[in-house]
This record gives sequence, structure tokens and C-alpha cells, in this order.
Amino acid sequence: MSEIRLKCPDTLNAESGPALLEEVKGGLPEEGQNVVLDFSRTRSMDSMGSAWLMRLAEAVRGRGGELRWEHASGDVVAFLDLVKPGLLTRPTPPERAPGFFEATGGSAINMVTELREFWNLVIDTIYWTVLAPFEGRGFRWGLFIDEMHEMGVRAVQIVCLMNFLLGLIVAMLLSKQAEAYGIQIFVADVVMIGFARELGAVMTATVVSARTGAAIAAEIATMQVQEEIDALRGMGLNVTQFLVSPKLLAMLVVLPCLVALGIVCGVLGGAVWGIFVLDFEPSVWFNETLQRCELRDIVEGMTKTIVFAVMIVLVGCHNGLRVTGGSRGVGLMTTRAVVMDIFFMIIIDIQFATLFYYVLE
Amino acid sequence: MSSNKPDTEHGRKPVQAKNGAPIIEVRDLVTRYGETTVLDGISCAVRPGEIFVIIGGSGSGKTTLLKHMCGLLQPAAGEIVYRGQDITRMDEDELAQMQRSIGIAFQSSGLFNSMTVGDNVALPLREYGEVDNSLIPDVVRMKLSLVGLADAENKLPSELSGGMRKRAGLARAIALDPPLVYFDEPSAGIDPIMASGLDDLILDLNRLLGTTFVIVTHELDSIRKVAHRILMLDRGKVIFLGTMEEADHTDVERVRQFFERRPDEFIAHRNIA
Ligand SMILES: Nc1ncnc2c1ncn2[C@@H]1O[C@H](COP(=O)(O)OP(=O)(O)OP(=O)(O)O)[C@@H](O)[C@H]1O
Ligand SMILES: [Mg+2]
Repeated sequence: MSEIRLKCPDTLNAESGPALLEEVKGGLPEEGQNVVLDFSRTRSMDSMGSAWLMRLAEAVRGRGGELRWEHASGDVVAFLDLVKPGLLTRPTPPERAPGFFEATGGSAINMVTELREFWNLVIDTIYWTVLAPFEGRGFRWGLFIDEMHEMGVRAVQIVCLMNFLLGLIVAMLLSKQAEAYGIQIFVADVVMIGFARELGAVMTATVVSARTGAAIAAEIATMQVQEEIDALRGMGLNVTQFLVSPKLLAMLVVLPCLVALGIVCGVLGGAVWGIFVLDFEPSVWFNETLQRCELRDIVEGMTKTIVFAVMIVLVGCHNGLRVTGGSRGVGLMTTRAVVMDIFFMIIIDIQFATLFYYVLE
Repeated sequence: MSSNKPDTEHGRKPVQAKNGAPIIEVRDLVTRYGETTVLDGISCAVRPGEIFVIIGGSGSGKTTLLKHMCGLLQPAAGEIVYRGQDITRMDEDELAQMQRSIGIAFQSSGLFNSMTVGDNVALPLREYGEVDNSLIPDVVRMKLSLVGLADAENKLPSELSGGMRKRAGLARAIALDPPLVYFDEPSAGIDPIMASGLDDLILDLNRLLGTTFVIVTHELDSIRKVAHRILMLDRGKVIFLGTMEEADHTDVERVRQFFERRPDEFIAHRNIA
């Protein structure tokens, strides 16, 4: 096998590297030709020089040859030794992006695994929240109280404000339409019905999923990333018992309360518009409102709320536990949790609307 | 192929540091976290080309001192002089300029999780624009092969072991061949073979590129192998500053205890009971 020999310059650095590479490329007429670099003149080299050397080695290897060197002395020997592993190994090619069928199949499999994981979480949660406390296997009441404070008490202000404003907006929009027919008083009815059946629950659940759902996902995901979940498991403790059930129970207590508050605030928002802008007597307005306040509507709103509560906690925990990678994974999973919350909320809402107005009618 | 020379030939022994104006000097540094004083009047000077090792018990403030020396923390009192300039008085731009000329490998690696290991190393190269763009992949590969991670280039940090992450952090720290490198606990979480490989790497970089190292470590073997000078912290004070030989003959009880690996009394009692 033939070889070509080349003399390295006095100093091998960022300036002299490119020239050497050109020289080698120019002098490589045949496939499989080896290159021998003669370092006898070279007194010094630096990192940039060795990066060029690396590229040179790759170029020679690309033609099926091999790079060798000789007559190095002093520091250059040490430097070459230091970078030798890099010179002798091929760069690892970046991972091939999967093709269409592979990608489709991959996501189908992922979905199945995800569903299975979610199902396991649901079963576990039912056991640890509903059955285990009665079997005397313990429930973390302290955490439950803390969570209620965090999820409930601290969310009161924002929930009230959002619902109040929404009530105001709804009344504002409707009163324009009602004016045309002179039936402004019906705005009170619509606000009441709207909030009891739909808006109170949906608005409050949206606020809570953005607030608490995201917090749950982020907290559990961070715990997963920092090996806290592994630590918990390693101590023989159950993740669902420790983290999920207290949150779930707290949410089940707190969300209906928040929704009730939300309904009241929404109705008050409408009333502010009715009394101060539409100039109704407060007694007239509230009388109309109370007449429209039906148990059936409230029951619908509250049943929905219970389902929302379960969904928000389970989706948050599920996404948190699925995290891979570090800080970026935490961000992705938190976003995913909130998006899923809102998506499922709408789906659940549709189910309830169908159930209450078309099936049970 | 280059010949395999015996280790002594290019001296894998600590060479004496060059004398001259210190590259970084700490003067009467005081740090408090809230009420607790963590560092209480620390003074030391690191000479260019030196391997300066900081030792001390866990929680004695080594990491804190290191963070001060790269301008990441503002001291309660005292000065930190880098090449004649006090970094505690620098504005943001000057500080950024100073930080570009140092490399930092953090105790918990500090790699960006969203990027591959290769991109992590490439980041300073790309951002500072001092290296020809087309050469960056080769520089990255070279730096990674220096720390024995040539095949981890396309992996994400979360796919590496703790020790691998630490080495990747070092590769990123030395990406730009900075004259001054801080290294917090290089050998923690690394097997002895790799740890001694890292020691060799530190010595080689120090000798070949003249890189100054400030290293926090607990590894006695590694200290013996690399340290030009040693600084020992205890309860916020410098209790020892000198060469390894001086450390072997010092009267300071705490230093002797450290190097002889003798436990504190109360732990000894606990062990008996
Ligand atoms: N952000 C912080 N807030 C409050 N106290 C802190 C903070 N960071 C560190 N400390 C305290 O400062 C002291 C020194 O911490 P430092 O991280 O510098 O220790 P260290 O010497 O590096 O320890 P180790 O060898 O365990 O890494 C410790 O007592 C620690 O409790
Ligand atoms: Mg530390």
C-alpha cells in the first residue's frame, strides 16, 4: 500500500492547519492511501491545530487510508498523545431520523404504553384514596391539609376575580341584544343559568388547571428528574399514596367550593351590570336571578366539577411521572399537562351536555 | 504511530508553578448567607500556570469561594482581583468579558439538558465566535475525546451517568482553552481509573497550554498528584496555604487529620457505640 509523506509546519495552529489539510487533500490521488505526517520540524501545536489534525484524519479515513505520524518531539509528543484517542476514532453519526412508518408505529406504541400507564395510575389512585385508608394503611392528612390550603385558599382571589369579570362581560354582551326586544331583565336569567350549568365550572376549572394542574405536573416532574421519586420507591414507599392521593382528595374538596364561589361571583358580576348600567332595582334583579336558580342546574355544574377535579389531578400526576430528560422535560410535561387539562375539560363538558339535555331529558 | 513514552519523560509530576503577578487574588473576602458567615476573611493568590487545590470539610465554603472567584456571587466585603482588576467592582459587561476568559466546571455539571453533549461543548465556541464555524465540530470532538467521551457527542445529558456528565462539563469548560479553569470536585462520582486519567489531563493541559487550575477536591491521591499549592478552609478561615510537602510537615492539627483521614472524635465515639 502506498503512502504519502508530508512535513508539518513549525507550529501547528489555527493559521497553519488549513494549509496542511489542503496539502493532504491535494496529494491524495488514490483510494486507500496512507498519510504519514513528519513532525520533525514542529516545535509547538495548540488545540486549534489539533482540531485541524482531527479533520485531516477524518479526510484520510474517508478515502480508506490511515493517518500516522513520526519524529515528534518534546511537547508535541505529549500533545499528540493527548488527542490521539480523538484522532483514531470515527465521529459518531447523528441518530437517523425515523421514517414515516417507523414514526407512525412508534407513536402508536407510545400511545398504548401511555394509556396503560395512565390506567395503572387510575387503579392505584382508587386503591390508595378510597380503599387503603379503611384498611388502615395510612393517608397523609398533613399533606392533605397543606394541599387544600395551596390549591383552595390561595386560589380564591383569582377564581373570584375571573368569574366576576366573566359575569360582567356576559351581561354586557347580552344586554345589547336584549335591548332590541326590551327584555333586559332576562339577562339576569341567562347569567344565572349560564354560570350554574356551564361557565362557573369551566372558568374555575380553567383557572385551577393553569394554576394547580401545572404546579402538580412541574412538582412531580422535578421530583422524577432529581431522583426523588426513585428515592421514595427505594424506601419502599408508594408514590401514589404519598403524592397522588392527598392531592386528589384535596382537589375533590376544594374545587366544588371554588366553583360554588365562582358561580356566586359570576352572578354578582352580572348583577353589577344590571343594577348600575341597566338601572334595575337590586331586589328586582336578584328576584329574577333566584327564580332561575334551579337545583338541577347546580347539580349538573357540580357533578361536572367532581369529574374535572379528578381529571386535573390525574393528568398532572401522569404527565409529571412520565418526564424524561432534565429541566427541558419538566417544561414540556407541564405544558402538556395544561393543554391536556383544557382539552379533556371540553370533552367532559360535551359529554355532560349530551347526558343532561339529550339523554336524561 | 507515535511511540509510547514512559510517563516520566514529559513529567507527569507537578512542575513548580511560575512565579509572577497572581492571575487571581482574593483579599479579605467575607460572605454571608443571611445571618451565617460562610467565609470570614479569606485571602489567597493564585499564580499563573499553577494548579491550586482548595480542600476543606464538606460545607466549609469551597464552592462558595469558587463562585466568588468567577464573579457569580457578590461578597459582603473584600476584593477579588483578576489580572489587576477588582471583579467585585466590575459592571456587567466587564464581568462578562472576564468570565469568557475562564472555564468553569460545576459540582453538578451544569450541562444544559435540552442540548446534546456536543452542542453543550459547542455553545461557547459558537457564542463567542472566536473559532471558525466550520471547525467547531472538530474542536468539539477533540475536546470530548480529551475527556474520554468521544462517542457521547450525540447523547443528551440525561442519558449520561453522573461521572460522564462531570467530564462533559469539563470538556465544555475547556472548550475555548481558557487560561484559568475552575473545577469543582472533578473526581466525585468517577471511578479511580477515570479519576486518575482526569488528573493526567489536568496536568497535561497545565503543562502544554499553561492553563491555571483552581480545583476543589477531596481525593487525597489526586491532591498529591496534581497540587502545586493547597489551601485548606475550615469554619470560614484559611487554616493552611502551602505546597504538598509543607502540608506533610505542618503542625496544624486539622490539616494532618485531613491527610491522615482521621475521623472527628464524636464520629469515632459513635462508631464504638
Ligand atoms: N444559597 C445558599 N443559601 C444559604 N446557605 C448556603 C447557600 N449555599 C451554601 N450555603 C451554606 O454555605 C456553606 C458552604 O457551602 P458550600 O457549598 O460552599 O460548601 P462546600 O465546601 O462546597 O461543601 P461540599 O464539599 O459539600 O460541596 C454551607 O454551610 C451551606 O449550608
Ligand atoms: Mg461544594
